[in-house]
Amino acid sequence: MGRKILLDKAHVPGIRSYDVYRREGGYRSVEKALRTMSPDAVVEEVKKSGLRGRGGAGFPTGMKWSFLAKPEGIPRYLVVNADESEPGTFKDRYLMEFLPHLLIEGIITSCFALGSKVSYIYIRGEYAWIVSILEHAIEEARHNGWLGTNILGTGFDCEIYVQRGAGAYICGEETALLESLEGKRGNPRIKPPFPAVKGLWDSPTVVNNVETIAAVVPIINEGGDEYAKIGVGKSTGTKLISACGNINKPGVFEIDMTISVEEFIYSDEYCGGIPGGKKLKACIPGGSSVPILPANLLLKTAKGDTRIMNYESLSDGGFATGSMMGSGGFIVLDEDQCVVKNTYTLARFYRHESCGQCSPCREGTGWMERILLNIDQGKGKMSDIDLLWDIQSKIEGNTICPLGDAAAWPVAAAIRHFRDEFEWHILHPDECTKRNYGLAHYADPIHIPA
Amino acid sequence: MSEQQLFKVTIDNITVEVAPGTTILNAARQIGGEVTPPAMCYYSKLKDSGGKCRTCLVEVSKGSEKDPRPMPKLVASCRTTVMDGMEVKNITSPRVIDARAGVVEFLLINHPLDCPICDQAGECHLQDLGYEHGKEETRYEFQRRSFHKVDLGEYIQLHMTRCILCYRCVYTADQLTDSREHGVLDRGDHAQIATMIQKNLKNDFIGNVIDVCPVGALTDKTFRFKNRVWFTKPMDAHRDCSKCCGEVQLWMRGDEVYRVTARKDEWGEVKESSKGSTGWICNDCRFDKKHASDWIIEGPTNVSRHSVISANHYQKLEQPKETVTEVMNGIEPRLFMNIHDVSEVNQQHVQLSLIDGPATGKVFNKNAD
Ligand SMILES: Cc1cc2nc3c(=O)[nH]c(=O)nc-3n(C[C@H](O)[C@H](O)[C@H](O)COP(=O)(O)O)c2cc1C
Ligand code: SF4
Ligand code: SF4
Ligand code: FES
Repeated sequence: MGRKILLDKAHVPGIRSYDVYRREGGYRSVEKALRTMSPDAVVEEVKKSGLRGRGGAGFPTGMKWSFLAKPEGIPRYLVVNADESEPGTFKDRYLMEFLPHLLIEGIITSCFALGSKVSYIYIRGEYAWIVSILEHAIEEARHNGWLGTNILGTGFDCEIYVQRGAGAYICGEETALLESLEGKRGNPRIKPPFPAVKGLWDSPTVVNNVETIAAVVPIINEGGDEYAKIGVGKSTGTKLISACGNINKPGVFEIDMTISVEEFIYSDEYCGGIPGGKKLKACIPGGSSVPILPANLLLKTAKGDTRIMNYESLSDGGFATGSMMGSGGFIVLDEDQCVVKNTYTLARFYRHESCGQCSPCREGTGWMERILLNIDQGKGKMSDIDLLWDIQSKIEGNTICPLGDAAAWPVAAAIRHFRDEFEWHILHPDECTKRNYGLAHYADPIHIPA
Repeated sequence: MSEQQLFKVTIDNITVEVAPGTTILNAARQIGGEVTPPAMCYYSKLKDSGGKCRTCLVEVSKGSEKDPRPMPKLVASCRTTVMDGMEVKNITSPRVIDARAGVVEFLLINHPLDCPICDQAGECHLQDLGYEHGKEETRYEFQRRSFHKVDLGEYIQLHMTRCILCYRCVYTADQLTDSREHGVLDRGDHAQIATMIQKNLKNDFIGNVIDVCPVGALTDKTFRFKNRVWFTKPMDAHRDCSKCCGEVQLWMRGDEVYRVTARKDEWGEVKESSKGSTGWICNDCRFDKKHASDWIIEGPTNVSRHSVISANHYQKLEQPKETVTEVMNGIEPRLFMNIHDVSEVNQQHVQLSLIDGPATGKVFNKNAD
């Protein structure tokens, strides 16, 4: 049912090579943009498309592009964020690995729109093998006249460089990424100034996610209005979801944002249900930093509406009863999973990845991790639960970059929705260490589509 | 040049006019007193400093005259510039007080609290911060993080365990010296200040990292354990120095110079010199000139800060306006009570050193019969 506009060619044999990609209609958007459109017209199409950033925050891309400062005589940069280190998120990896030319095509078209002659792909260090795939594709594109000087005889110049990170999640935060790209320690910058005014080497810079830039290709090919017709409301176009956890078919799926969460989990087209006929307990729908939801709130909103896989519906109810689309890392927990252990694992991650600049995040993440470890190991106290709540509330909103929030939200949501599971752990210190799960009663019986 | 238009900003109901581009913190410093948020990482003389410790968080209840919307999050006052008509709440905001107490707690959970053996005690900004904005008890029950002490060259010792990662020393080393050899290694709560492969810091001005450090993480090896700051008298002094302004503070006891530091202002920052140049001092002045005869002594420093150093009588004394006689409606003062009659502790037949265990009232009563 779902329409595919990004991954439709992913399984064409040899699509990774330039010749096949071109034969399948690749690089048309570059031809169209450079030959028939002005840079502003490209920006206009992206605005019309309603495309929202796919890196996590969901900021409208066209608007971001129009904020780019354009002072005379100063270069501008497009930086592609391929750091993808959020636990549960692995969609950019798939896109770059199978369709490297799609990203390159998107970069060239976007650079034309932004007036950027140089673009950098900042890629997660662990994606080492993808660096050579991308570099090979860049070489092919250059060889065929899509990169370099005077592209298509239009006078437009463009170069792309790939820079590997060194394995820090924080370098996915856009300003930390810029610092790292400049060869410095990857500490997030204090904003303002925003990258659109002072970014890479103090020049105006746009930072976009891999998927965002790839989506520019169908937008220019089909037109912004056509793109906007896919999806609903402010969730236009298609979204890549990387699904993992207790599901039959983990992987990367392209969805149009009209399907329900229930369909996404249980339909054979997507996750294919939960193995062993187990019940759904909870889900983290948008990558490890977004709030976890228990099954009942995941499938239906607090108002009783069916929850849909899109920006508005997933955040319906705010943090009290909703979550977020985030970066599209969909993590499913079945009835046997322990929310306390899961929360501890996430807290450990954030503690390890905090850059350590601001005191609430640096000290608070470590503190939360230790308390959660105690509870997980049956050494917790009842007062620890309120203490955890208080610590996360003192981190949230009080830090330089959103990593502090990202560390606070999972803890807050786990306590908000699964408080009695924490209490059960504390009251049953022996039992909770013997078996690896908490309370199953959150997995309310739900209707499974035929 | 036409006169610059000033911005009006109201902090805790007090209005000041400041030049555009001024931060909320600096506007508050113009008002002074309690209205000024505490700043552990910002240092006006160091470019790019601030924003990290989060002790200076304030609430902006009105963005500006043009856009009166409040800012949703608390902001770091040291890195947020004022707008015309902005209204800020510092100590009048319960949210700020709560968040700040949280920050103080975070800063202290891994701090060793070894003040009794720390050279910084008495002039430590973390002590002041904890006292003024913290809570009495900690809820932290885990082992504190610790590091080994490291010598950074001949003169400076790094006690990383006490560091609050304010980055001031990093900016100082970066901005006052020409080689970048002092920075931060690792990240998160295992981040540490370090020099490149424990290289010595040799630069002529590197001693200033001791002065900017708000805690006892960077200490002067020529002074370590020699004295407590509150026993020494700060004196303003100067000498002709070819490398720096030569204007310093000598920390003396009798005729002996125990320590030399730069002169500081009321915010604990190194002051401008009297000639208007920067007040940073060179290593020669700081570490090598330890004789009173090396210096032209100007006189005692006016210590106006609320630290224990001011207990050393160096504040200008003010004669009380009323006499006891006046307060007591004409009654001549005499000893209010004879302490020897009242206190059991002062009874001469009790030898405190011979008591087994702590001295309690029982001990004295038993012996008093
Ligand atoms: C701690 C942290 C990690 C992030 N990691 C990534 C990442 O790996 N990839 C990404 O595209 N955006 C990441 N972001 C979001 C970026 O800061 C930025 O919003 C995004 O790259 C903007 O692109 P978009 O508008 O296309 O979404 C991260 C943000 C934070 C706070
Ligand atoms: S919130 Fe955490 S990761 Fe972000 S700047 Fe502060 S310490 Fe670094
Ligand atoms: S050593 Fe001192 S000045 Fe340097 S970061 Fe630590 S606390 Fe700040
Ligand atoms: S003084 Fe403002 S954040 Fe540290």
